[in-house]
Amino acid sequence: MTRILLSDKLDNCVERWRSAGMTVIGPVQGESISRYAVVENGAGFDFGMILPDRSVKELFFPQTEPMLRYTIKKSEIDTADFPPPQEKRIIFGARACDASGLAIDDSLFGWDYKDDFWFHRRNESVIVTIACTKADDFCMCTSLDLAPDSTKGCDVLLRPLENNRGWQVEEITDRGREAFAVIADLLQESSDQAAPTAVVTEKFNLDACVTWLQNPENFDSKFWKEISMRCIGCASCTYLCPTCHCFDIQDEGDTYSGIRRKNWDSCSFALFTMHTSGHNPRSTQSARWRQRIMHKFNYFPGKFSVNSCSGCGRCSRQCPVDMGITETLQEISKLQS
Amino acid sequence: MITQEKYRTTVKELLASDSVKMVIGYKPGSTPDRRRPLFIRSSDDADQLVLDSTCITNLSGYLVAEGLLSDEKRVGIFLRPEGIRSINILAAEYQLNMDQIVIFGFDSTGREVRPLEGRHSKDFSALLSDIKENSPQISKEPLLESIERMNEQERFDFWQEEFSRCIKCYACRQACPMCYCRRCIVDSNQPQWVNTSSHTLGNFEWNVVRAFHLSGRCVQCGNCDRACPVNIPLRLINQRMAEMVLEGFDHFAGLSPTQEPVLASFKKDDTETFIL
Ligand code: SF4
Ligand code: SF4
Ligand code: SF4
Ligand code: SF4
Repeated sequence: MTRILLSDKLDNCVERWRSAGMTVIGPVQGESISRYAVVENGAGFDFGMILPDRSVKELFFPQTEPMLRYTIKKSEIDTADFPPPQEKRIIFGARACDASGLAIDDSLFGWDYKDDFWFHRRNESVIVTIACTKADDFCMCTSLDLAPDSTKGCDVLLRPLENNRGWQVEEITDRGREAFAVIADLLQESSDQAAPTAVVTEKFNLDACVTWLQNPENFDSKFWKEISMRCIGCASCTYLCPTCHCFDIQDEGDTYSGIRRKNWDSCSFALFTMHTSGHNPRSTQSARWRQRIMHKFNYFPGKFSVNSCSGCGRCSRQCPVDMGITETLQEISKLQS
Repeated sequence: MITQEKYRTTVKELLASDSVKMVIGYKPGSTPDRRRPLFIRSSDDADQLVLDSTCITNLSGYLVAEGLLSDEKRVGIFLRPEGIRSINILAAEYQLNMDQIVIFGFDSTGREVRPLEGRHSKDFSALLSDIKENSPQISKEPLLESIERMNEQERFDFWQEEFSRCIKCYACRQACPMCYCRRCIVDSNQPQWVNTSSHTLGNFEWNVVRAFHLSGRCVQCGNCDRACPVNIPLRLINQRMAEMVLEGFDHFAGLSPTQEPVLASFKKDDTETFIL
């Protein structure tokens, strides 16, 4: 016997959480794209998609975020902080790759400086992952030592029932237990079986890739040019990625007053490393693509002992020229074998 | 299939005789319905070439990326009529020397692909004039028509809603063969002309700036529209601008490599008192 939540109780759950002061967020299929968005009742969720087009990252690290307001006077500078939002949220129906992405980025945002905007939202948000029962050609969590039912980064794991009428409930963290205490009486004991998780085939040999990337001789390999010739240098892959975290600080306004903002940025852009002198240490697209791969699978794990990729596949799914991390790592696996 | 085989043979011949250093075409992508750009430098590469109705991407942007043509050697490229128009514009704007370009023209109706006769831009001038005259070209799609029926406020709201999804990934710019500026206005930061923030206002600024820079230059290849990860119907903006330029100036972008850029040329007898 396990505890289960029936899908016809969703309306009640949403209502309970809302009255407990939580904003309820879930996968929503919009007219043109799908994303994690606020839902007002059970009917608002779309659990049918493999994963939303846009990752969960934007709920924690939005594309643009005001940090402070400044006014420059004759003898002083006045500043006023924008405090991180105080909202309590429950994200119901996250995918394992998205939830893992958040856990991966915790190490970055908490490293030498604790990013309040990130951690405030992290602490105030409950992540309820629903294990995947289907995957597409681009899904590759298993190649990153993760799985369709990974509990990394999630507070409660739900497993869809084979008979489709709801989910098995597995509380992972205290935060998750607390949120589910609010709906405890809506859960029930049942012997319903969970549906098997999606079969996601391993796409590359991660260890071989890491070995190849760590070999300094390969930094200047002609492989980089060959593999990235068609990359057009947009930020589609970066901005849809649940783990890409680079940002730029910009002052918006004039010399005397304005708002300092934290905006998404991407290593795919030529401007990213452009010096004021005009010199650019990453002057070609292949150098920028190498950086993207090296950062995710060599430098980031070197510092934080975890890869900066959760295998969601969005970078390959959405690339305008059909590139992506998968192809590159597959080719590297071949080189190393 | 026949077109593909014929072209494979020609590509191999041109490479073998050193007439071109590279041919840019298509190869199979990661799923059966996807094609990806292919850079052919050897006979083996040529064997990967595919040409069918799903080869849609306008590849001409690669010609002006990272100095491909700077050694003055010739490069072959697979182009649909829109692609030929875009390299004509690139030549007219002094971005490439047409003598370096060998064209493998093709077009498709339904699933059928057919070759277009010729190898040099000038071979296609009759075809392009024909397209200008015959197709109402700026085909009226339902969404565009419904936008035109809106009043100003409704139209503003429509685009506001669309642009609110923009994430400023600049995939539209990077995918567009006409967006070749070495330093885009949005990347200029001394001074910062356009805010980099991706809030709705910033997104509006970006998309309007781009629309202006593309008017009279867009060939409706659809690269921007397909590249946009949040599915903003970008084609409609540039389509409308092309329509206005056609109506106002009888200008159909990319007819020839010597066509004067409509918004960058000046006529003494211009009836307008205002110059942008
Ligand atoms: S890999 Fe694709 S999505 Fe990423 S920068 Fe290159 S073209 Fe853009
Ligand atoms: S690198 Fe690609 S597959 Fe990995 S998390 Fe980012 S978008 Fe997903
Ligand atoms: S604006 Fe879009 S449709 Fe027009 S030429 Fe550029 S990519 Fe093609
Ligand atoms: S491709 Fe779409 S999301 Fe990206 S900058 Fe252009 S309009 Fe915005």
